[in-house]
Amino acid sequence: MKISWKWLSDWVDLEKVGTPERLAEILTARGLEVESLHRQDEGFDHVVSAQILEKLKHPEADRLSVCTVSTGAAPYLQIVCGAQNMKRGDVVVLANIGAKLPNGLQIEKSKIRGVESFGMLCSEEELGLKDKAEGIFILPEGTPVGWKIADVLERDDVILEIKLTANRGDCLSHYGIAREVAAAIGVPLKTQKIPEIAWAGSPVQIELKAGENAPQFAGALVKGVIQKESPAWLKTRLESVGQRAINNLVDVSNFVMLDLGFPVHIYDADLLEGDTIAVDVATPGEELALLDGGTVKLQGFELVIRDGKKTVGLAGVMGGGNSEVRATTKNIFLECAEFSPVLVRRAASLHARRSEASLRFEKGIDSTGPEKAMKRLADLVSRVAGGVLVGASFKQSPARSQVRSHVVQFSESYIGDQLGMSLSPEEISKILMGLQCSVDRSGGKFSITPPTFRRDLNIAEDFIEEVARCIGYDEIPLTLPFAADLAARPVRESAVAQRLRRIDATKDALVELGFFEAVSLSFQSSTFLERCGLPSQVRVQNPLTEDHECLVSSLLPGLLKAVLENERHHFGAEPISIRLFEVRPTFHSTDQPIAAVGSHDTGVKETLKAAFVLTGRDHSDALRQDLRVVDFFDLKAVLEGLFARTRTSGVRLIAATRDPIPATFHPGQALEVWVGKSRVGYAGRLHPRLEKGLGLRQPLYACELDLDAVLPLMMAAEAQFKDWPKFPGMERDFALVVDSATASDRLVQVGLRAGKPIAKGAKVFDIYKGSPLPEGKVSVAIRVSFSDATRSLEEAEVERASKMMVEAWAKETGAALR
Amino acid sequence: MSEQSGSIDVLRSQIEEAGKLGLAQVEAAATSADLESARIHILGKKGTLSEVLKGLAQVPGPARPQVGAVANEWKSKIEAAIAVKKEALEQAAMDAAIAHERIDVSVPSRRNHLGGLHPITQATRLVISILSRIGFEVATGPEAETDFLNFEAVNIPKDHPARDMQDTFFLGPGVVLRTHTTPVQMRTLMERPLPLRILSPGAVYRCDSDATHSPMFHQIEGLWVDRGIRMSDLKGVLDFLAKELFGSKAKIRLRPSYFPFVEPGAEVDVSCTICEGKNARCTMCKGTGWLEILGAGMVHPELYRAARVNAEGVTGFAFGMGVERIAMLLHGIPDLRLMFQGDLRFLRQFP
Repeated sequence: MKISWKWLSDWVDLEKVGTPERLAEILTARGLEVESLHRQDEGFDHVVSAQILEKLKHPEADRLSVCTVSTGAAPYLQIVCGAQNMKRGDVVVLANIGAKLPNGLQIEKSKIRGVESFGMLCSEEELGLKDKAEGIFILPEGTPVGWKIADVLERDDVILEIKLTANRGDCLSHYGIAREVAAAIGVPLKTQKIPEIAWAGSPVQIELKAGENAPQFAGALVKGVIQKESPAWLKTRLESVGQRAINNLVDVSNFVMLDLGFPVHIYDADLLEGDTIAVDVATPGEELALLDGGTVKLQGFELVIRDGKKTVGLAGVMGGGNSEVRATTKNIFLECAEFSPVLVRRAASLHARRSEASLRFEKGIDSTGPEKAMKRLADLVSRVAGGVLVGASFKQSPARSQVRSHVVQFSESYIGDQLGMSLSPEEISKILMGLQCSVDRSGGKFSITPPTFRRDLNIAEDFIEEVARCIGYDEIPLTLPFAADLAARPVRESAVAQRLRRIDATKDALVELGFFEAVSLSFQSSTFLERCGLPSQVRVQNPLTEDHECLVSSLLPGLLKAVLENERHHFGAEPISIRLFEVRPTFHSTDQPIAAVGSHDTGVKETLKAAFVLTGRDHSDALRQDLRVVDFFDLKAVLEGLFARTRTSGVRLIAATRDPIPATFHPGQALEVWVGKSRVGYAGRLHPRLEKGLGLRQPLYACELDLDAVLPLMMAAEAQFKDWPKFPGMERDFALVVDSATASDRLVQVGLRAGKPIAKGAKVFDIYKGSPLPEGKVSVAIRVSFSDATRSLEEAEVERASKMMVEAWAKETGAALR
Repeated sequence: MSEQSGSIDVLRSQIEEAGKLGLAQVEAAATSADLESARIHILGKKGTLSEVLKGLAQVPGPARPQVGAVANEWKSKIEAAIAVKKEALEQAAMDAAIAHERIDVSVPSRRNHLGGLHPITQATRLVISILSRIGFEVATGPEAETDFLNFEAVNIPKDHPARDMQDTFFLGPGVVLRTHTTPVQMRTLMERPLPLRILSPGAVYRCDSDATHSPMFHQIEGLWVDRGIRMSDLKGVLDFLAKELFGSKAKIRLRPSYFPFVEPGAEVDVSCTICEGKNARCTMCKGTGWLEILGAGMVHPELYRAARVNAEGVTGFAFGMGVERIAMLLHGIPDLRLMFQGDLRFLRQFP
């Protein structure tokens, strides 16, 4: 909100404040944050009014003229000027040497086509008065010469931009800010003489039909007004805070709102029918044409204003088009009322008509306001538009007419105790009285009645803040609280702490394995998710853009986007190497619809996932002969490395038997990750169709794990020391010819089982395919290690075990020794 | 006798001649192979010296030891010369090999891929590690949250102007993407006995997108609830946090502000430790001398009521900060959106 220093001075003497900068400090320290400060005369130093004494053509350039100007006394200055719209005798705006104009232009002595120029004649554009202007600015005849231009133009105000918090509706006006300033610097508010109004003689009856949702309404009929341009003082005030002046009637209503904080409305009285004006609740389905030209269909909760026959306004939001003030309007009806903050807010939001007026009603206006506002409005109308006040009427609901006696009580020591400092009751009284609270002190207790305009002061805590902000938050000391229970409540073994340690370990392991962590937005477009074969189950009802309409059920789409982005800006002959991971929750539907049930349930399930992608080379940097393109087994190594590093046991990696995410993974190069009886993840090459569709230039390998399922298997207990074998073992190599479809880990399992108990380990170390082996056969070389923890093995028992293994291979897998 | 002595002299000179010749041959060997053939040539069974020594049998008894000694002397001399020569040749061969094995050490290494945590994770861990020193522990909650826990329970009723402070994404009736991690505080207040000292880090969502706003960003909120907690305690804890994060010269400044879930409420600035307010063009504080990093305040009693906590004598404070903001300040990152693009040019800078 914009606040004018001069306007503010109408309500409070700012002499004690001194400078606008100091005012900004005071307001900010009290919680009314001044975001910026704009001096209207910024850039007007060394800019003065000057009269043209002589205007000659430039000897070297037809389009330039050489003027001699006077600032009141000799020496006269020679100025070269590009404009032609001025003549001898005109008073114009001269920027002297040394001026720095609002647009940043620095004025220096110059020579233009051989003629010296000692300044510049300015246009309104150059002075920052207009966005665009032709020719130089010619001031009205009779303007004194040699005056500072800020004085000539009365551009001597300072405008403060205040960022108001949502609780301070009382400060949405110059009067409201003045109240704060007066309290802060300890001076009284200025009073302005506003004539009383006689609440009588109104031919229009006011009816309050919406009960406490519209508890008061003041109306007045004024006849014979003359619409015209507002007087200069009014225009200056409004324009200083960025409000365009329109005509006297519109301007006074805006003025009252910005001055006192009360929205008001003016109707063309001749367009009102019947002799009643009522605040009522809308009829469902009723249509209302508003003065902005649009039509709204009302739902039935809205408050409306009705004359004897029709609806003439959406209360607190916008007047109706059927009763708006026209160019021919002579008789007007003034409205100042109070409406339910909630209903105004709802109506303004639903019908997309949030306005300066609705903003103020939403925050709750001073309950004593409508009466005051009407006096002010009626007075201003008569001053700037004439007319005769025929009659005025004011009506309040029974509840509203009773004084709101909202009393808050607390002990004398309460505020100091809560702030952690000592404060005398006198000090507290003084502060609260300064804020126009009524303060009663008796029996060691305060009883405080806040002023009617402070709707935000309701509980004792509110007064802690009031006192704190008045003495200054800086005055509160620094202390550290005592955590008496710290040792009594160990947290390391809590479920949350364990889970976080495991998540951290997962991330650390992936970093160690050469991956950078990405953080992707949880949003994706449905088209992209479907292309990836990973459709969303949860949609955003009000997405920012189509790209954000879905919440992801997988982290892979986000990582794929990142891969594409990285590939897009990568250049050079070497393809890019990318290793990215992400650990974040994904969003899933459940058998419940997505809707709140009770206080906690949403119908959305979140699963913490870990995903990683890799593509490119096995090393980040090396000579070409040393680099290898990554393949499936690099991916598998990462997965195994992750599990080893995090001491995860009980996870099984098995070849993907059916094709679970057909559009995502390569059917022949993928594995499934299993925990117990659940599949908890996949790892594999991206489906070549997807790789091609995305425009990837090289194969991409990806893995995603349901981390919620895997975390409990990590770091289950502290690692325990195990002694190593004391007796040397033996190794035997076997070359087995099997069907090429036989999984090598099956050979390992069969062999180890048959070689029990001395066969301790088996490892596939070579696979051969081709001549002389027949088509469809491969030779798998396995190295088996034999040992016994208690003794050295004998040659014969290794032979026996080997024989049993070979038999088992033959029987269970059809393998023949090569 | 003279004939004998004559043949002894002949033999002796033959020995010396063979010896001298042998030495020369050893000396002349250019390779280990040369040296070995020289050794065989001289000292082998049919070697020159050995052949000469066969004449020793004819030497009469008494003179034999003398001649034998001469012969052994030569033999030792040659063997020593061979040993020396062998050592020299091996040295030379190794030197040659070493010279041959010379590589260009400036050639790129086979560097493993470097990984790194996201600046958001790093900043989150930093704040948690600082505050866990004074007893805070982490609490978490879902990102899809009920309107009740996100708003109503934290004193932002329906149709309240404070709802404008946080533009909200809706997922279904009464279901929102949480706009702050305050619902985690609520959940914890509801579920756990007092006293509480918790930090709730996590992603939050607001309908907003530009250089300083992202529809998803991260917060860490702190909550300390116990008997007798005062606003001065809030200041003390924030001062500790500010000094740990930005250096011991950092100071905090609280300005009154409004957040519905606290009363009194404050915006918290930390003094700029880069320029200490002395550089009008400081990239960290933009010349103001202060960095806005936190919102804070004393827990509003409405929260205890909504959580059904017996709040008699109980007070608490809460504070919240944007993690991206902390990371941007720590690393000089100019644009918030860089955080969410997975761009390796960005991520590689913060290993």
